Amino acid sequence: MSVLNHTRPFEQKSPAWLTRLWALVGGVSVRTKILGIVLVLTTLLGLGATLQVRAVMERVFISELESRGRSVVSDLATRSTEPILLNDSFALYQLLSETVASHKDLLYAFVINGKGEVLAHTFGDEGFPSALLTLNAPKTPEESGHLLYESNEGRVHDLASPIFDGRAGVVRLGLSESRLNGAVDSVTGQMLFTTLVVGLIGIFAAILLTWLLTQPILELVHTTHRIGQGDLSVRATHWADDEVGALADAFNQMIIDLDNSQQAIAEKEIARGRLLKKLINAQEEERKRIARELHDGVGQSLTSLTVGMKVACQLDDQQAMQAKAEDMRQRAMETLQQVRLLSRQLRPSVLDDLGLNAALELYVTEFSKQYPDISVDLLCEQARPSPVIETALYRIVQEAMTNAARHSGAKTISAVLSRRDDKYLAIIEDDGHGFDVTVARRSGRSVGIYGMAERAEFLGGRLDIESSFKGTTVYLEVPL
Amino acid sequence: MALIFLLASCRSSSKPLPYVNLSQRQALPAIAKTEVLPLRVAVAAIISPQGTVESYSELADYLAKKLGRPAQLIQRRTYAEINSLIAEGEVDIAFVCTGAYVDGQKRFGMELLAAPEIDGKHVYYSELIVALNNPATSMRDLRGAVFAFTDPMSYSGRVYPSYLVQQLDETPETFFNRSFFTYSHDKAILAVAEGVADGAAVDSLVLANSLQKNPELKEKIKVIYRSPPFGIPPVVVPPNMSARQKALLQEALLEMSSNPEGQRILANLGIDRFVTVSDSIYDTARAVVSSLGGIP
Repeated sequence: MSVLNHTRPFEQKSPAWLTRLWALVGGVSVRTKILGIVLVLTTLLGLGATLQVRAVMERVFISELESRGRSVVSDLATRSTEPILLNDSFALYQLLSETVASHKDLLYAFVINGKGEVLAHTFGDEGFPSALLTLNAPKTPEESGHLLYESNEGRVHDLASPIFDGRAGVVRLGLSESRLNGAVDSVTGQMLFTTLVVGLIGIFAAILLTWLLTQPILELVHTTHRIGQGDLSVRATHWADDEVGALADAFNQMIIDLDNSQQAIAEKEIARGRLLKKLINAQEEERKRIARELHDGVGQSLTSLTVGMKVACQLDDQQAMQAKAEDMRQRAMETLQQVRLLSRQLRPSVLDDLGLNAALELYVTEFSKQYPDISVDLLCEQARPSPVIETALYRIVQEAMTNAARHSGAKTISAVLSRRDDKYLAIIEDDGHGFDVTVARRSGRSVGIYGMAERAEFLGGRLDIESSFKGTTVYLEVPL
Repeated sequence: MALIFLLASCRSSSKPLPYVNLSQRQALPAIAKTEVLPLRVAVAAIISPQGTVESYSELADYLAKKLGRPAQLIQRRTYAEINSLIAEGEVDIAFVCTGAYVDGQKRFGMELLAAPEIDGKHVYYSELIVALNNPATSMRDLRGAVFAFTDPMSYSGRVYPSYLVQQLDETPETFFNRSFFTYSHDKAILAVAEGVADGAAVDSLVLANSLQKNPELKEKIKVIYRSPPFGIPPVVVPPNMSARQKALLQEALLEMSSNPEGQRILANLGIDRFVTVSDSIYDTARAVVSSLGGIP
């Protein structure tokens, strides 16, 4: 069981707040993240737009209110001149009250004469808010005034305009912001409501989007678990031709590759078993042969030598004894010869002493004696790779040539060994009738082929076999 | 909703604004009467109220100063209102129209104090004006026109043109298509100049003054008829005024031409001096009024 190693971004060399933020953001599901993004964006956009519109509306409304107020107050000043000069209080009152009635934002209007006395006002019978008299009084009668104040009826713009250049007094009027503020608040409310609706739609869209995004991923996770449990028959669904679809495809390809590689491993395992069995058998066979050789050859010779020595001891004749000794020396020489041959067959010492080239040349000589119908071309570059490689190369060439001689019915075998850069290459070709490499590898008969491949892989090299009815070529590549 | 209040509360205010409770109201103090009785100078609306203030406030101030009292310039829309103020002694001195004098003198004994003298004469005319391009040459040609009267009691602006219509055996109601009152001579001139009325009869003194102040009016209007001379609009006092008071006022008026301040004010009004005149100079006007059966 392997330990899952989580690597997280922002863990090293990041400010603490970023780590904390990531811990917070990274700790929630993708669904929550997308929902959060949608909500935050919608809220920011909605609030931003609302604030902006509100600010612009307020500015525009107030400026429009002021300009309207200025125009109304100057119009009132012009129109109230005559009623004031003619002392027509009722006409003045009528003018003021009609003006106030026809302008929704007008709270009040009143006229003060040069002595500061109120000539007419629109506050009705209940009296007059005398606080207004001290407020916004123009410093000179000719001057127009504009003053902003808070009142119990909201913010009020008090505008003053001199009548008849101030000679007939001053007209004052109050414009309330409350109606405009109401409009601004109403628009703000509507915009916030719209933001809310858009936010809700955004949440639904985000849920749908998240489902679309996470569903294939969750299914992939499920598939992974199934594969982890060993079920290689499952496949991830290709939902759409997008990145997730590409991921599913890659995932499926991975499952196929994994399946193939597992099959290859299983086949290899079987072949390895066969090799091991063969190896053990071969070892036993070899022991049997050595035992037989020792018993039948060296044993017999030594027995006859012992018998000969016993006979020699009983001889009195010097000449006969000499002849017997000479005979025994011959026999001992033969025995020695037998022991040497046995030893060479077990392990060609020439490989250790003289190197791969000499060993192979010797092998080819013996091979030619064994298979006189096959002509062998050996081309071997002068080089001494490491003993391990030399042994492996020797055995592989030996196996390839033996296989060719035994199974292919070849007339010619050529073996070329060369060194190229940091690799050692060997090509063994024959002109036999060839065989099906794949079938041979799977059938289990080809322990030799498997052995060659194992030796090559053991050295980090590669063995390829190409075969057709015209012959077989074994390519070997081993890094130095 | 809470958000709206939050947003509403962030309306910027750079400095604290003054606060007024508009529902906290008090009864206004009655307009205080000054201790010293002001000199109440009434001016009939021969010209517009603004024009009157421009022209007569200096004269009122001058007279008040001479009498050692503050001035109060009183105007009313109609001559009749001024006449009733004079009848009730609500004013101390009044500048009225010839028609108003004739009527007031007859009704309640309005007293003649003085009259302006212009170029050595104490007369003025009613002048019939039309637009410059109007082909009319007399009142006869204005049949079916829109006519602007000045004041119902104005001699030059109402009485005399009505007399001219009467001479044509018509009444203004039948003769003109439509007529209206402008309540001042300068407005009647403007009404013709602007094409609101086809014709009007105006005070020759006001017309001369208007043409002098606004020369471009000559491009718009022309005089097609001038009446015979009538007694100039006088300065009057209420009946039953104390002789001393009357003498003080008369003296102040008459001696205006003998000091620079008075001369300057007179020059602004287009008057040479104030003189005492005989009531008989208004007899021709009286004759016209009586031929109309009085001022309506």
